[in-house]
Amino acid sequence: MAGKSGREISAVPENGLKSKILSWEGALVLILIAVNILGVSISPNYTANNVFREMPRYLAETFMLFGMGYILVLGDIDISVGALVCLSGTIAVLASNAGAPFILTVLICLLVGLLGGMLNGIIATKFTELPTMIVTLGTQIIFRGIAEVLFETWGNGGGTASMADTKGLMLLAKRIGPFPIAFFCVIIVGAVMITILAKTTFGRKIYAIGSNKTAAYYAGIEVERIRFICYSILGLLAGVCALFLLTATFGSNTTTGQGFEMEVIAMCVFGGIATTGGKGNLIGGFIAAFIIVCLRIALGQRNINTQLILVIIGLMLIVSVLVPSISSALAARKKKRSA
Amino acid sequence: MKRKLLSVLMTAAVCASLMAGCAAAGTAAPAADAAPAKEAAAEEAEAPAEEAADAEAPAADASGATYALVTKSAGNPFMERMASGFQEAIEGAGGTVVIQNPESATPDAQIPVIQSLISQGVSSIAVDGNDANALSAVLAEAKDAGIKILTLDSDVAPDSRTVYCNQAGVQQIGQTLMDAVYDLTGGEGQYAILSATSQATNQNAWIDAMKAISEADSKYAKIELVEVAYGDDEPQKSTDQTQALLQNYPDLKVICAPTTVGIAAAAKVLQDQGSSVKLTGLGLPSEMAEYIGDDDAHSCPYMYLWNPIDLGRLAGYTSMALVDGSITGAAGDSFTAGDLGDYTIEEIDGSTQIILGPPFKFDPSNIDDWKTVY
Repeated sequence: MAGKSGREISAVPENGLKSKILSWEGALVLILIAVNILGVSISPNYTANNVFREMPRYLAETFMLFGMGYILVLGDIDISVGALVCLSGTIAVLASNAGAPFILTVLICLLVGLLGGMLNGIIATKFTELPTMIVTLGTQIIFRGIAEVLFETWGNGGGTASMADTKGLMLLAKRIGPFPIAFFCVIIVGAVMITILAKTTFGRKIYAIGSNKTAAYYAGIEVERIRFICYSILGLLAGVCALFLLTATFGSNTTTGQGFEMEVIAMCVFGGIATTGGKGNLIGGFIAAFIIVCLRIALGQRNINTQLILVIIGLMLIVSVLVPSISSALAARKKKRSA
Repeated sequence: MKRKLLSVLMTAAVCASLMAGCAAAGTAAPAADAAPAKEAAAEEAEAPAEEAADAEAPAADASGATYALVTKSAGNPFMERMASGFQEAIEGAGGTVVIQNPESATPDAQIPVIQSLISQGVSSIAVDGNDANALSAVLAEAKDAGIKILTLDSDVAPDSRTVYCNQAGVQQIGQTLMDAVYDLTGGEGQYAILSATSQATNQNAWIDAMKAISEADSKYAKIELVEVAYGDDEPQKSTDQTQALLQNYPDLKVICAPTTVGIAAAAKVLQDQGSSVKLTGLGLPSEMAEYIGDDDAHSCPYMYLWNPIDLGRLAGYTSMALVDGSITGAAGDSFTAGDLGDYTIEEIDGSTQIILGPPFKFDPSNIDDWKTVY
């Protein structure tokens, strides 16, 4: 089961090039190509250089996609990460302004994310009767609440805190050729996270828990330990997200990270990960993330109303979830007719 | 099996054609439409939407420049009026306008919008900042790309932009309010100020300006400021403070509230009690409409605020002046902003600003037009 997409659009036997193309991931690659063709044809400014220059702000969220993928495959959900991004970023900014050198600022940013994730993990695994949506709703409010208190006490007033020394951040915002550093980081983190989920025992255990938690438990899988680790990983990645977001904003404010959790969940679902757990893989989510990013950049360059862009992405999400049902209905009708 | 492949392609095609349709619905697009017919990857021919896309204005204007405005948020009447003024000023001069609203009222949402405008190579970007510092990285990038940056309504860090179109200067607000008090008291008597919080930067600057003006001119000698009360911009506290003022100063003639929350609370108290004390200050037309009137049944004869349309127009003219090089953004530069008149860039508190002018007056003659605006 591991590695199999949660969204099936073909009844073709496993293996073989045909099944690869007809898999959900194959479809996503086609859509990504289509989106890029569209971009080039509607905007003369849709060049590699411009696309990669506009990308970092969106790439920051993509880091969390991988952690969220684990959580969704587990059959859990974490809606606190947007607020955790805000908290990590805020504490990092305040630490830097208090005189911490850049490397320490980076570590603090990641550490706060990790601790926040661990807190989610502890509550979710100690009180297993609580739905994780509610647990993380609570921590979401707590994380943002703490950040707001910090703004009031040490911020620049008006719910913002901005970093005075931005040299380190500017270094992180640099580009190598047309590629931003964030892009390489996303690729590396993504490769590691995809491999762990698809190729290791740890990854298979996650699928086992997501498919049937009780059965996994009786099979000797340390369910709660693995869940705890997954929440911690997602927390750490929220810290990474906060760090790369800082390279774009040089500061943090009360609205930082707002809605990120839902955007990340949307990318996962679009990528074929089932929110019910046990199905899907990160490659789909990864491609889906780039589809959404490229689409936003392309439409943005045509100055299409930003609200309309959201509508389009929402429609795509729904269509993508409906495709399997439509195709299976078509298959059923075909069978009936031939019978 | 083929059908499956088809469904995949259809998804792609549906998405693509959707976007083509939306391109037509979007705001004025400056992009040179190289090959609109090729779009939707030509996979499917469900193309009625594409024709609409073709009909769109094809290329950049003859004057060659595209001027962008990034607002704070969508669906905000103040922003919409501002944008309409901006558009009117620039299109009147033959330029191309791009108006973009971020998807939410946050600096994070403004960043990708500005990034996209950099890609498009616009000539200038006027920003209404959602945060003073969060936009500095992206604005520096825009500056490096040779784009002129100005702000309006809400400023950003001064080194991120060339010039700030300020809706009203401190001195002008002080003068306007002092003159209103002079007019309403009839040149002599007591007045009080109902402010926001005691540490509110804007209000304190305006009140200090009023005090300085009344001391400097003997014309105001017979007008006495009895108290500056603080309603903390909370309706209830502002109401309590108004009542306390009425009780403590029976001879009070005028209350001046340079804050939208305070003026609305005071207006209700005065009108409900049928008090003879008159009110003026800075208020939102939509909130104040029922209190504005010349007769005794209304508590506020007139009040002030800025005019968002003129602010947008000023930003439009400033954008064009920056792009054509007639101003560089240095203090002392001056230019003509259409029928708004001549403006000079001033250096205020170490930052370059252009001040729109005296606040806009709302009185019984125009309040009905404005109360639906903002």
